[in-house]
Amino acid sequence: MSRLFLPFLVTVMFLLESIIVQLLSQPLFDVYLLVPRMLIVFITFITIFIGQTEGMTYGFVFGLLYDVVYTELLGAYAFAFSLIAYLIAKAMNVLHKNAWTASFFAIVAITCVEWYAYAIQLVIGGTTMSVRTFFQARFLPTLFIHTIVILIIAYPLKQMLLKWHEKRSESSPV
Amino acid sequence: MPKFFLNKRLIILLVSIMVLIALIGFSLKERDELSWMEKFTKDTVVFMQSIVHKPAQFVAGFFENVNDLRYTYEENKRLKEHLEQYVLLESEVESLKKENERLRELLNKKESLRDFVAIQATVIGRNPDRWEETLIVNKGSQHGVKKDMAVITPQGLIGKVRSVSPFSATVQLLSAKDRQNRISAFIQGDENVFGLIEGYDEEREALLLKRIPYDAKIEKGQRVFTSGLGGIFPKGLFIGEVEEVVADEYGLTQIAYIKPAANFYDIDDVIIVKRKIEMSQEEERQ
Repeated sequence: MSRLFLPFLVTVMFLLESIIVQLLSQPLFDVYLLVPRMLIVFITFITIFIGQTEGMTYGFVFGLLYDVVYTELLGAYAFAFSLIAYLIAKAMNVLHKNAWTASFFAIVAITCVEWYAYAIQLVIGGTTMSVRTFFQARFLPTLFIHTIVILIIAYPLKQMLLKWHEKRSESSPV
Repeated sequence: MPKFFLNKRLIILLVSIMVLIALIGFSLKERDELSWMEKFTKDTVVFMQSIVHKPAQFVAGFFENVNDLRYTYEENKRLKEHLEQYVLLESEVESLKKENERLRELLNKKESLRDFVAIQATVIGRNPDRWEETLIVNKGSQHGVKKDMAVITPQGLIGKVRSVSPFSATVQLLSAKDRQNRISAFIQGDENVFGLIEGYDEEREALLLKRIPYDAKIEKGQRVFTSGLGGIFPKGLFIGEVEEVVADEYGLTQIAYIKPAANFYDIDDVIIVKRKIEMSQEEERQ
């Protein structure tokens, strides 16, 4: 696996989030307000299995891209993604690194991002959605789908990240 | 004291929160143009996205095609019926158009608010955040797209251009929450009734047409079009049909719930509409 594999993978994930919402909006997203949050899952896994610096960098860069390209609300996601990466890195100091803790933190991270985004939208007057509607129509379905996806991809993703990290540190000892 | 609350880190956190608030304030401000960095980033991402979009669309399109095949027979039958009516309608439209042209020539009035130039664009992304419903399309200022232009699909009006970069543009859908999103519209009837479209009711999935005179008689099913009085939109873009009319909170005006004609979810191609009569020309005339 080459050096550029991981940035490439995260970039594709970032682009797919938008494309998925556009292409599958009719059948999937009409009833519930499902939101793809795979980016933060990747950032969580990168923070845990590769390192804090990498996690925070990816969080900041892709958060900023998300802000500039998609939401046009500068800084919001860049701040959230890098802060979450930082807190997860701190929490991992006292916990074991394995697929289960990573999955758990990924779900916690999605929860944080969703409520954070909702809070910001409430403050700036971007939505009038009630907490109840948000919880039932948006938050729970999103969390449910992501939990399933995370449980499926957690182990392969972990193996892949560790392998990539190993290869890279072999080729360029830091 | 745990490491977590060390002074230096706390200061960094506070500073970044302040920067965050400043940045959000900056982006909430009404901006006429994006900064060049935003434009560049957007165009780069949109370029990459259009590469990834093709195969993704192919996969999604395959399932859609299978679904379409199942209903082909029924649809065909219905379409054949429509076709006969269509021929009649077409000849009627043609004769009306000619008459209109002749009358216009008599009046010496060449351009109307209805005339527009269409710019075809493909939708290549949607805001995944989904708090604000916006689309990303692959045409930008290089193709003549400007801020606040109307965006339609063959079914009807879907929104307006919110920001432009050289090779892409962001379209804000009518369903987005934005106080500044006002569209001057009229309800077609024996006597046209004018009002302003302000806001969207998420639960009813209907647009709100406000400031209708209290004595105007409006019925369910009447059609609503843009009036072209707002300055940028051309006249006569179809918006939707009246669903219900209620009195407003003070009883001075009426509010109509409008069912949008266009589907806000399944959008692949859009038409960006540029009015032929520019604002300045209109002002000169007055």
